[in-house]
Amino acid sequence: MNPPCIRSEHLSRRALMKAALGSVAGGVVMNWGGLTASRAIAEEARKQKKHCILLWMNGGASQFETFDMKPGRPTGGPFRPIDSNVPGIKVCELMPRMAKQMDKVAVIRSMHTSEIDHPGGIYLMHTGYRPSANVRFPEMGAVVAKYQGTEGGDLPDFVKVSSNGDAGGGFLGPKYQPFGIGSEGSLPQFSTSNMDPVKEAKRHDLRSFVEDKFATETKSELAKMHREAYEAARRLQKGRDAFKIDAEWARSKELYGDSEFGKRCLLARKLVESGVAFVEVGQSSYDSHADNFQWHRGLVPPMEHAWAGLLADLKERGLLENTLVVWTGEIGRTPQINNRAGRDHYVRCWSTALAGCGIKGGQLYGSSDENGVDVKENPVTEGDFFATIYKALGIDPQIENYAGLRPIPLAQFGSKVVNALLG
Amino acid sequence: MFTPTKPTLRYQLTFEGSWPCAVAFVGPRRLAAANQLGNIFIWDLPEKPPEFKADPKAERQAPNVWPTRRLDGHTNEVTRLIMTPDGKHLVSASLDHSVRVWPLNGAVAGKADVLLDEDARKREARRTGKKDTSTAPSATVETQTACEVLEGHAEWVYALGLSGDGKRLVSGDAASKVIVWDFVARKPLSQWSGHPWNWIAAAALSPDGKTAFVSENRYKRDDFDVPTPGLKLWDAATGKETLDVLKVQFPKYNASDRSYGGSQVWRKFVANGLICVAYSPDGKLLAAGQGGETDTGKVHLHDAETGKLVRDVASHQYGITDLMFSSDSKHVISVGRDTCVRICQVSDGKEVAVLGAPRGGQFKDWLSAVALSPDEQWVAATDIAGSVQVWQLGG
Repeated sequence: MNPPCIRSEHLSRRALMKAALGSVAGGVVMNWGGLTASRAIAEEARKQKKHCILLWMNGGASQFETFDMKPGRPTGGPFRPIDSNVPGIKVCELMPRMAKQMDKVAVIRSMHTSEIDHPGGIYLMHTGYRPSANVRFPEMGAVVAKYQGTEGGDLPDFVKVSSNGDAGGGFLGPKYQPFGIGSEGSLPQFSTSNMDPVKEAKRHDLRSFVEDKFATETKSELAKMHREAYEAARRLQKGRDAFKIDAEWARSKELYGDSEFGKRCLLARKLVESGVAFVEVGQSSYDSHADNFQWHRGLVPPMEHAWAGLLADLKERGLLENTLVVWTGEIGRTPQINNRAGRDHYVRCWSTALAGCGIKGGQLYGSSDENGVDVKENPVTEGDFFATIYKALGIDPQIENYAGLRPIPLAQFGSKVVNALLG
Repeated sequence: MFTPTKPTLRYQLTFEGSWPCAVAFVGPRRLAAANQLGNIFIWDLPEKPPEFKADPKAERQAPNVWPTRRLDGHTNEVTRLIMTPDGKHLVSASLDHSVRVWPLNGAVAGKADVLLDEDARKREARRTGKKDTSTAPSATVETQTACEVLEGHAEWVYALGLSGDGKRLVSGDAASKVIVWDFVARKPLSQWSGHPWNWIAAAALSPDGKTAFVSENRYKRDDFDVPTPGLKLWDAATGKETLDVLKVQFPKYNASDRSYGGSQVWRKFVANGLICVAYSPDGKLLAAGQGGETDTGKVHLHDAETGKLVRDVASHQYGITDLMFSSDSKHVISVGRDTCVRICQVSDGKEVAVLGAPRGGQFKDWLSAVALSPDEQWVAATDIAGSVQVWQLGG
């Protein structure tokens, strides 16, 4: 028997009227999902001041070379497991520092997702939804920015550091687009004004005057968006110091590891400490169709060093309680080792990990069979994964936003929160 | 006298269950090969191969002989096998962090049934429509556990090289540690580290054992965080760097630059790592092979005195996996991901023989290691498809 529908799954008459009015006034494209997800809900969530750092393993890190090892099996590969600080939990020998942080981490070894290639997988694991021609779903970062962000703050609510995914704000609108920072961690060129401040202020006044006049005459939402974006860029000038890590890097290098990914993780911590709701940090090149073991030997050590440093640093500063650290890529990798010594794409059974923000650490959730081919117990879909993340962040995953006239819950219909992961 | 003419495939030694990845002759007709599980087997090849009629369309083009002995001790992939010049020992390096020295004809510990053709049986069952395949042993072999373990590495040991006189051994690991051993005393003579992020991919000693030729590299840490490789000569006794071969090739090369832009300086030359090196027996040339999966792997030949590139030889599509010189230093023998053994003249780079053939299509297995018999009349190559191919030269 199907469970009864919950109220939020239905389109209320009031919401329908609002949406219709919105459509008439500005076109459905301008709805930006804000009709039913009231400002009050967002404000209530924001009071919790929760943050999220997404560690994005672009290309798809191998579960066999991280958290779901199969030593001695034909699918196992040459790496060996080592003990962690949690009895019974072993991790790959490439992760000695994370082994000492496993009491903070919940590993999901039973991910079962639905997009096997990179573009679809990147979209799926950023939004919780498969790509659709009809709906532009927002990324997790946009959702967190909306519900945990700081309206009118000096810093952006959604920052991406050398990462992937282009869904952005989706139907939540350009206000929740990510603020992108390049691989070397520097601010984009547009964020720096070389203009004399007096001159810049005069220009700003003039531009505001013209925009106000245009907005009054045309009732254009776009003008408002443009105005907001410009204001955000101007406010950023005050918060620029949050992006500078040079002084701190010298004393944090050992903790985070001397790598670009380490620097990005330090920046993420600094931004979270400064109030940014969501920071995504990317590490590239896990798509190891050839020489999988050499690639992981190259990629995993700097990643795990930085990740362990980040967890320790967040804990030390009292930030881990309210900061969720998500570790995932778009796909896992095949149990079978191909004749290029590589592992290909795999989504039937793979691993992700969560830590902080109420996540019950020191546990392995779900399991795979002896060769890592299929989920043996407790499968977790992309919807479940996102529902759990939102729940941990104090955001109801059932909240609906509108894409035009269509109500869309934050996590897919039918997805469930994995309560065992929450403390 | 090495005469690389009229190569004939004489044996296809079935070695299934795990990829064969290292090979060495341990006698004129005695062969050792190892796999990723850490098993080392010894084959005693008859002087005359058994009668065999090849079907031109079949995979098997030469007869099989089962091994006679298994050397038990390694617990992870064996990366290199070398026979000592006196023919008394086999030296092995492994991902289990150890270097082992096996006395050839050491004491027999027992006997074991081994299954080395399970895949072939499954293929045959599919072909004939049989439901079950036999799991009966392929052969019964003697086992040997007696060996000496050289302690000193705490990481995967990729690199192994022996001096021409057999008195010094060099080994290198994935923590960038190089150890030169007094092989007679079985004790470290010197040790040093390369760049802390790199691993020692390959190492060789000069014929007199005084100089170590070491290649170090690492797969990228990120697209924008690519540590620089190293290709250097070191004083084997003191561990002091004597020549930076990459610096000779690229004067603007900056070893501390790990940016994407910096890697473009050396990327084409190093490809995905110079993963196999050799010192010519006359001590005049250095050879380094472009490995990892790459477009076309070549062997760089450098002057051992100046480090200058003399020429590139061989051309293995998708990358080289192993190489060696002939004893007269006139030929380079290399294997790669194109499933071929290529023999090239050092003097002009001319390819004088190709053993095997590309199997067609991209990424179709590879030959992982090569060895030359002491009389230089036989060439053996391990094949990840599950065999050791053995050719006779000179017809």
